[in-house]
Amino acid sequence: MIDIRLRLNDVDRCLSCEPGDTLLTLLRREGCFSVRFGSDTGETGAAAVLVDGRLASADVLLAAQAAGHEVTTVESLNVATGELHPIQAAFVETGALQSGYSAGAMVLATKALLERISDPSEAEIRDAFSGILDRESGYVKVVEAVRRASACLRGEKLEPFQPIEVPRLTGLPAAEAGTAGTGSGDKSGDANDTSRAAETGIGEALDGASLARPRVVPSPDVAATVVVGKPEHKVDALALVKGNPVFTDDVEPRGLLHAKVLRSPYAHARIVAIDDTEARALTGVHAVLHHGNTLRVKYASGGQSAPNPFPWDQVSFDDTVRHVGDRVAAVAAETVELAEEACRRIKVTYDVLPAVFDAHDALLEGAPVVHDERDSIGIVDAPRNVAAHIEGQTVEDMDAAVAGADRVFEGTFHVHRVQHCAIEPHVTIGWLDADERLVIRTSTQVPFHVRRMLAPLLGLPVKQIRVIKPRIGGGFGGKQEMLIEDIVGHLVLATRRPVRLELTRDEEFASSRVRHAQTITFRTGVTHDGRLISQDMAVVANTGPYGVHGFTVQSVTGLRGLSSYNCPAKRYWGDVVYTNGPVSGAMRGYGAPQGVFALESHMDDIARALGMDPVELRRKNWVRAGDRLDIVPRLGERGAVEVIDPEDLPQVASCGTEECVAQALRAIGWDSRDDPTWRTPPDRPSIRRGIGFALCVMGSGIAFVDMGAASIKINDDGSFNLLIGATDLGTGADTIVAQIAAEVLGVPLEDIIVYEADTDLTPFDVGAYASGTTYISGTAVKKAAEIVRHRIAERAAAIFGLEHASSVELHDRHAWAPDGRSLSLADIAMRSLHLEQQEQIMGVASHLASESPSPFAAQLAQVEVDIETGQVTVAKIVTAVDCGVAVNPITASGQVEGAMLMGLGYALSEELVLDQQGRIVNARLGPYRVFRSDDAPASEVFLVQTMEPSGPFGAKAIGEIPIVGVAPAVRNAILDATGVAINTTPFTPERVWRALHGEQAGGSPELQLRGSGSLAT
Amino acid sequence: MVTVSNYERPNTMSEAIAALSREHVVVIGGGTKVNPAARAEPVTVVDLQALPLYGVQRLEGGALRIGATTTLQNLADHLDVPPVIREAARCEEPSTLRAFATLGGCVATADPESELLATLLAYDATVSVAAPSGTQTTPLADTLRNRGNLAGRIITAVTIETDGIASVARVGRTPADRPIVAAVARTTPSGEVRLALTGVAATPVLVKDAEGLDPPADFRGSSEYRRAIATTLIARAVEAVR
Repeated sequence: MIDIRLRLNDVDRCLSCEPGDTLLTLLRREGCFSVRFGSDTGETGAAAVLVDGRLASADVLLAAQAAGHEVTTVESLNVATGELHPIQAAFVETGALQSGYSAGAMVLATKALLERISDPSEAEIRDAFSGILDRESGYVKVVEAVRRASACLRGEKLEPFQPIEVPRLTGLPAAEAGTAGTGSGDKSGDANDTSRAAETGIGEALDGASLARPRVVPSPDVAATVVVGKPEHKVDALALVKGNPVFTDDVEPRGLLHAKVLRSPYAHARIVAIDDTEARALTGVHAVLHHGNTLRVKYASGGQSAPNPFPWDQVSFDDTVRHVGDRVAAVAAETVELAEEACRRIKVTYDVLPAVFDAHDALLEGAPVVHDERDSIGIVDAPRNVAAHIEGQTVEDMDAAVAGADRVFEGTFHVHRVQHCAIEPHVTIGWLDADERLVIRTSTQVPFHVRRMLAPLLGLPVKQIRVIKPRIGGGFGGKQEMLIEDIVGHLVLATRRPVRLELTRDEEFASSRVRHAQTITFRTGVTHDGRLISQDMAVVANTGPYGVHGFTVQSVTGLRGLSSYNCPAKRYWGDVVYTNGPVSGAMRGYGAPQGVFALESHMDDIARALGMDPVELRRKNWVRAGDRLDIVPRLGERGAVEVIDPEDLPQVASCGTEECVAQALRAIGWDSRDDPTWRTPPDRPSIRRGIGFALCVMGSGIAFVDMGAASIKINDDGSFNLLIGATDLGTGADTIVAQIAAEVLGVPLEDIIVYEADTDLTPFDVGAYASGTTYISGTAVKKAAEIVRHRIAERAAAIFGLEHASSVELHDRHAWAPDGRSLSLADIAMRSLHLEQQEQIMGVASHLASESPSPFAAQLAQVEVDIETGQVTVAKIVTAVDCGVAVNPITASGQVEGAMLMGLGYALSEELVLDQQGRIVNARLGPYRVFRSDDAPASEVFLVQTMEPSGPFGAKAIGEIPIVGVAPAVRNAILDATGVAINTTPFTPERVWRALHGEQAGGSPELQLRGSGSLAT
Repeated sequence: MVTVSNYERPNTMSEAIAALSREHVVVIGGGTKVNPAARAEPVTVVDLQALPLYGVQRLEGGALRIGATTTLQNLADHLDVPPVIREAARCEEPSTLRAFATLGGCVATADPESELLATLLAYDATVSVAAPSGTQTTPLADTLRNRGNLAGRIITAVTIETDGIASVARVGRTPADRPIVAAVARTTPSGEVRLALTGVAATPVLVKDAEGLDPPADFRGSSEYRRAIATTLIARAVEAVR
């Protein structure tokens, strides 16, 4: 140990540490929990602090380096309870915080910047944040927060941060519904006049307005509300922006042990022997677990409703490793370093087996068999490496359908592996409580699934397990998994001590989950004038060595590939194939980004071949209000539904596509495509410009599967506790459901106290996935609030002497009689809890959705392609989305901005690359290349209101749809700019350069069919 | 992370040189690259922060002598430093690492993708290295080529010319990505053009043209692509300074 002197948050300190301790370790030990782990290479910035006023990543500095210096964390700004520094306030007001995992670093970056430059330019702001990765916000609101803080500190008076209302460009929703099913894209002359007037109006409304302010296009169908639809501040904002200890790793139970996992260096090997003698002999090592001393129980790690979809092909520790990074053993020890040392001392004898990495290779005869064990359950065809197979079609005879087409086109598309890269890694802390029940505090999207799935693996009944989800630093599907909780559970039971396991960034890349790579073939028949006659789609997906989410992700690929457009004949076919690559799983969009990339690229190719405008081709075919989504029951979460009455097919009730497209085309400047000097700027001869379009359709939760529940009770002062099983990952879900409760109960948002996702205390919820929380959990909250409202009204009616409770209204924290008399909710609460006919006014409700209404979006990208180097630069990206009524337009637009940037990574830079041994060659955030603040293009978000009758206050989903169309929009923009169609993602400079040189021909060539017209299966 | 058995912060050059004679020593400027590097065997870290090796000094004739522990942020902010070098220093690391990462560390780690090293090469940089036997100054290109010789020594300063006009052309996946290939061109007062490239060799290199390059391939660019792009980027960089 060494002693170091430093000044920490304005106090001179002498602290002891090991010479190798990082400054991050030291600061967290001293209680500065705002300084957080994101990587150990300084690449996330979650650990950034100020050293002598300069921003510095504490994860790469030795604590000893800070000796003699002044170290500042965000805790230094937290001087008064409940109060915020102006910089913190600016982050809260602009909605710049989503998960808030890096909030401390962001506030400090702002402080350091504004102390150097009081009125920084956007470029200077973006540069100041170049070291703080934000996987959530897209940086748009972050830049706005810094500007706002700067203005505030310079003494400017500020208007509240608000969305901007812009007028509609198309006919009213009712008129739109009237054209449903006719497929007519023609606008009347009147509509054009209206449209021109509206465009002028938009220009005025948006004059100079910050792009951080969402453009809300109101619908007259939407009733006025007080809390819903308003830019309320997030309910967890104060805790997050002050860096308070709210994340999984921000508690430290007494006697905590640290876990490490020994991972396979081979892509495929049999473990012949494990000798853990030396590891166990180390003082301070308390448990070493591996296949020789743990239960062998088959499971599927995907966090899904029971029964978990097959295959069940995993066990906690296996005698075979199937990818580089697969689990071999786990250790619990007194320190992280000791656990690492123990891992190094475990002697493993491997029999290295042949490995296969490409899904098509894995299907060949004689390919290595990834699962040759006998006890896995529900693998479709293990000898052929087929984990799951999906089929669904709306016609019996596809050949006959194709024969009816004038022209047939076929395109094959390849989409690659990417990773979620949530800044908070997977982290779990487990302990035995006083009753010796197992408590698991974990960074998960699915706490209730984790509890149920853990029980058999640990040999415990469900009632012996409590799972707590605290604040989460981003999930994006990567935490719709029971990824490490079983390891911690085993180690807690083995040691009877609290155990913590946090994955390193290396482990995140190698051993968490990735988006499925796929090869997708579309064969589409059309009439000469562009009406779809047949859509035939086939997918081969690489699931890695485990079939996690394999069946369902690939079902959604088909579902989303085949639900944007009306077409009389649709068929889907998919194989989910085992390989020895990284494990695939759930990721934002869940198969839709893959399917829609292929669909929307293919549609652009067809439009070019037909000589049609790409938007017009789509408009002839896109789904409208009143249309039936005939593919939905054929590609369900639980397989196809066989017998279908057409009247039972899901029907689109609300659809804002026409307006979304109009707004987005205007915002991106679609007409500039007609200007040759814009397309080929004379002063930049190597540059070609283009604009690409993609249409997106998603769902809101999974009908008849997803269920959420809520309970609400009143407190003495008329405030309410809202308990929900729903799982906020930084998405703002807690705020959304609290807004819904506040609206029903007639109180401001601050009167709703939210507690969520604790399996002992809150009602059940499936968790955060499938864009379901607002729609499903939000409806449960609305129902529970209505029960409470009704009981309050009954008691008020009795006091008012009214016959009917229904005549009592709740608003402004009061219950109101029709004649204007009122009682405060606090008064009613005091009476009911203490004075008269005492009772706890409370309501419990759950909601199982019977439908999954589609949000719709138009996404456009404007690109510059350097035809000499192949470099593609996105100049602007626009999303106009119909998510029904956005319950909170600020957080909704934040979701869109973040998703667009994540989508750009998918399109342009992010790719997990394997070497020939199956090791990831770029398992660091820099080489992997998540978009940074100084990479991001201008972006603009339109929230096009529709009134979804089945949603809470008209709401539909927003979380996933804005990532879905980004890659095809970029691809189609490159096509527009250069005439070159590229069918393989991502569009890296070399890939584009080769395509420009005629290699790797893409597009969707026309087929001259003879005989069978359908894709071979 | 590096496993550290000892941390030392020498106050004089002679203390620092003496510390280097021991076994398993690593030298850090800011430590941003050395600290995260995984090493199994414990090392003694010698931190140069207390040595008077920082700052920018103008020499007779216009050259600049830049101390090895000058941070990239200081370099990016310094008005005497040629703009192309300032911008390269800014791009070298993100905002969270720039205030600690040092110029000497950049030279010592010799990242083949370092645009900063390429700009320094184009400005005829020389590197002063202190050893028990005394201080030697060699051209940066030689230092990079023979970087194995740096063991047991301390980089004390980098000296650059400041005249001429320079320009950079680069290709990356995103606007602020580390370039796959970058070309730096600088005209000297005598009318010559200095050309330096990243991404075509084991370190950034000075070249006459793109002839004879045999770039190592990686996942961001094949050898063929890098060679082709080098030609294009050289032409662009040269065009901009002519």
